[in-house]
Amino acid sequence: MPKIEVNKEKFYSFIGKSYTDDALEALLPCAKAELDAVDNEEGILKIELNDTNRPDLWSTMGLARQLRVYEGGKGNDYNFFSNSEKTLDSGIRTVKVDPEIKKTRPFMAAFSVTGKAVDDSTLKDLIQTQEKLCWNYGRKRKSIAMGVYRSDLINYPVMYTAADPDKTRFVPLGMDKELNLREIIKEHPKGQEFGHIVENDEKFPFITDADGKVLSFSPVINSSEIGAVEVGDENLFIELTGTDLHSLILTASIVACDLADDGFTILPVKVEYPYETEFGKSITTPYYFQTGISADLEYAKKLLGSDLSADQMKNALLRMGIKTEIEGEEIIIEVPEYRNDFLHSVDIVEDIMMGRGMDSFEPVMPSDSTVGRISPEEEFARKAKDILIGLGFQEMIYNYLGSGKDYIEKMNITGDKHIQIVNPMTENYEFVRASIIPSVLNSEAISANAVYPHNIFEIGKIAFLDSDDNSGTVTKNSLGFLSADRAEGYNQVSSVVSAVFYYLNKDFELIELDDPRFIKGRSAQIVYKGKNVGVFGEISPLVLENWGIQMPSTCCEIDLDILQEE
Amino acid sequence: MDFDLKSLHPLEIRLLRHVSKNEKITAEQIIKDLAYKLGQCNQAFSWLAAKEYIAEVSRNLRTLYEITETGKDYVSKGTPEIRIINHLKEKGPMKMPGIAKDLGLENKDVGSAFGQLSKEGVLKMDSDKNVEVTDKELPARITILVTLLSKGLESEILDESGLSKDELAVIKANSKKRGAAASPFKIIEREDLVYELTDNGEKVKKLLLDQGLTGEEIGGLTPEMLSTGSWKGKDFREYNINTPPSRVLLGRRNPYSQYLQWVKDKLSSLGFEEFDGPLVETEFWNGDALFMPQFHSARDIHDVYYLKNAASAKEIEQPWLDQVAETHESGWETGSRGWGYKFDHDFTRRQVLRSQGTVLSAKQLHKAKIPGKYFGVARCFRYDQVDATHGADFYQTEGIVLGEDVNLRTLLGLLKMFAEEIAGAEEVRYVPGYFPFTEPSIEVHIKHPVLGWFELGGSGIFRPEVTKAMGIDVPVLAWGLGIDRMALMHLGLNDLRELFTPNIENVRLRRSK
Repeated sequence: MPKIEVNKEKFYSFIGKSYTDDALEALLPCAKAELDAVDNEEGILKIELNDTNRPDLWSTMGLARQLRVYEGGKGNDYNFFSNSEKTLDSGIRTVKVDPEIKKTRPFMAAFSVTGKAVDDSTLKDLIQTQEKLCWNYGRKRKSIAMGVYRSDLINYPVMYTAADPDKTRFVPLGMDKELNLREIIKEHPKGQEFGHIVENDEKFPFITDADGKVLSFSPVINSSEIGAVEVGDENLFIELTGTDLHSLILTASIVACDLADDGFTILPVKVEYPYETEFGKSITTPYYFQTGISADLEYAKKLLGSDLSADQMKNALLRMGIKTEIEGEEIIIEVPEYRNDFLHSVDIVEDIMMGRGMDSFEPVMPSDSTVGRISPEEEFARKAKDILIGLGFQEMIYNYLGSGKDYIEKMNITGDKHIQIVNPMTENYEFVRASIIPSVLNSEAISANAVYPHNIFEIGKIAFLDSDDNSGTVTKNSLGFLSADRAEGYNQVSSVVSAVFYYLNKDFELIELDDPRFIKGRSAQIVYKGKNVGVFGEISPLVLENWGIQMPSTCCEIDLDILQEE
Repeated sequence: MDFDLKSLHPLEIRLLRHVSKNEKITAEQIIKDLAYKLGQCNQAFSWLAAKEYIAEVSRNLRTLYEITETGKDYVSKGTPEIRIINHLKEKGPMKMPGIAKDLGLENKDVGSAFGQLSKEGVLKMDSDKNVEVTDKELPARITILVTLLSKGLESEILDESGLSKDELAVIKANSKKRGAAASPFKIIEREDLVYELTDNGEKVKKLLLDQGLTGEEIGGLTPEMLSTGSWKGKDFREYNINTPPSRVLLGRRNPYSQYLQWVKDKLSSLGFEEFDGPLVETEFWNGDALFMPQFHSARDIHDVYYLKNAASAKEIEQPWLDQVAETHESGWETGSRGWGYKFDHDFTRRQVLRSQGTVLSAKQLHKAKIPGKYFGVARCFRYDQVDATHGADFYQTEGIVLGEDVNLRTLLGLLKMFAEEIAGAEEVRYVPGYFPFTEPSIEVHIKHPVLGWFELGGSGIFRPEVTKAMGIDVPVLAWGLGIDRMALMHLGLNDLRELFTPNIENVRLRRSK
């Protein structure tokens, strides 16, 4: 979830009203936001935004816009959008796209900003917006990257090209020497962070002006000259490159609306493609591509459980910044320029809910009567637990992930049935447990100071590889227990096993077991209705030594699924 | 001052009752009067002295004489002198080496015995060096020794205070302190403690007498007493009920699993049926079926665990696969426009360790009853650094409610019920939330009597893209409760890792609030 920092004063001036921290906290849910922290010294509010489909809220201006409208303030009209029917004049501001870029990073959106000097807070906001949008919405620049430039230094048309990474050189922002693109990936901090996005491509995305002066190596780093925006600059050029046209254009719209709200004038830029796109070969951005969407009034009422009038819904949506029209039984919305999160009419219903406020919905109990029950597995497990507890065993509950060292090496087994994680966080959590026995032995290993005898058990899940299953794995409900004491041995554990089976009302037979975890001749395989359902016996001293255990121990593990089913 | 009569042992009671103020209390006397063994007597002294019911007033040094093995031998065979006399009386006069040989004595011992006895006129020697007995009576020292020996055999130890002056002289001559093996007696010097009753002792004695406690009360009730009825008419000794008990090791539930069981029982009492599933899931069920786009950030390699072997499932069940794929691409028949990307059929088969309990809800949908309520407590796995608030694996409690008439308000009602029934909340607040698979989405915050305000869980109405793709046409409420925090509070813990501790002693001692 993105978190943003907003300048309190600027934020409240855009909302048009100041709030106490408590009042703000109470208001923020209308943007699915939470007040995370307040820094009164710096005059900064830290706010967490929870809706990953509302990137328009991830900036000072965007969030202020939502709150202002929700509180009854006026929304801005944005007159700088082109659409499928109307293309605004972009003057000389044109971007020409290289055909070769289609393979790597095919789309660009851009616009220019003018009208007032960039101040410190605008610059901070712009950097924060760029970071949040490209990181959280643009998948860490993979699908969206954004660059801001000093447009006074640019000679149009801007060229979006596919460049040879070894032969193309420029001075990147934050360095004072010329590097080629491949060197930037290796040496520049941003190159190391984002280089992997383009690394495997033959040619890298590269942006210059008509004279070949470098704007940036997108999505990695700006140039140190045109790309070094400073406080006081009056004219900016903003471009976004990416792989998904919709999210790219939407992001451009969000940034443009924010800057417009901040008092800048937005100038359209025409992007000319040598190939066909969903919106044609030439797209003038900011571009309004969203299509209208409607919801059935009855559907909305039913889902909200409330008999709302069409006007009530209209007003609720207006508070969310959405203009609507009622046509017969449908409410049609005009999707705001900075939003594209209406996939289904249910999304309109949620905005009606938020516009009305949660307090307007009285909770009622679901009236359907249903029969509740715990699962048969749980029921059977409880039966087994009661027996073990009667036998003096302490129930344990363990993690299901562990190391190969614990699950395999110390157990003196090959471990070829163990499920291994490809991307473990650490080797301590690299395997899924295939047996409860290492879990109880681990307990014994760290509990030598606890008064003996030790009798512990767990009923939990184990999982291991099984090529017969569609998933290639199987998960089982398993019972495992351990006894450790001076006088503990086969006879003792055998008595416990007998008692467990007797009270579960199951017959069993024993056959000799050859298992490296146990002492041979003092361990058994439990057979139930011709199936192997478990093992028990004295743990091999080799295994005990591996665990650092100095007390004779016996273990047993029983497959509860087979016992329960048959 | 209060006196705890119940802490008195019968040995103490009988002793206290027996003695009087200003009387000298000695082991000797108690042994004699109350038939205590010396050990019992010393125990009673040390307990009473510790309670300050008796106090030491002096110490007496006493000399005791203990009969040795030689002495016992003298009793059964006679002393060497008596044996010599008897032998001569029986066999007539004979030479000394002959006596020594017949009786198995050393020549020198026979010689010295003769020396003493001839001096006393009991023996004499003729000119042929034959020794014979005279008519003279045996000297007193011999008869006294015989008496002492028989007394010594009877009581093992003779106290000098019980001996006459003559006896004392004889026993001194026949005993040694060290190297006494050849002597009939061994000298033992002993320090005897002498006690007197203290003022408190006097008071306790009075209390004992007043309450009729004799020390003869029954201690442990035995099967024999019950079968013979010997307990009848007797009193039972009253125990000190505050004596610290010894520890019992018992079989016992784990408090965390017990809490989870309580939650399960609670949910089933509210009409929910439990579901469960495997730890390994496909990307299809773990995300796709929940309408999370395949490029969603929570599906990144840094958020879920992938498998090395069994990396992909063989197939995904139809028609769910096609319906979900089309829904992602273009909305299928769900009324949605979809995510508008090309659904990846290899990715969807890829397997992960279940990362969210909602998987179980998704899998339940196509086989669910309508109306129906379901829940599951599912072990989930997340790619997180393990610390106090993140586990390598953890439980999520999730569920769904299907019904023709469920809606936002019944969702709020359901959350209210959970808040009150499961979390014991005093106040409930609903906040719009965001989950990729529900719309609308609601977070429920509760005011807990101890924890204050916190987020109890997330919920919402499943998006039609989720339900319709599974063939469900009614609204489905979906909810999840963060019960870990409540479990920690319930157990008085503040670290999630503690819930799964392998430490036996910690688990044995743990209890719930």
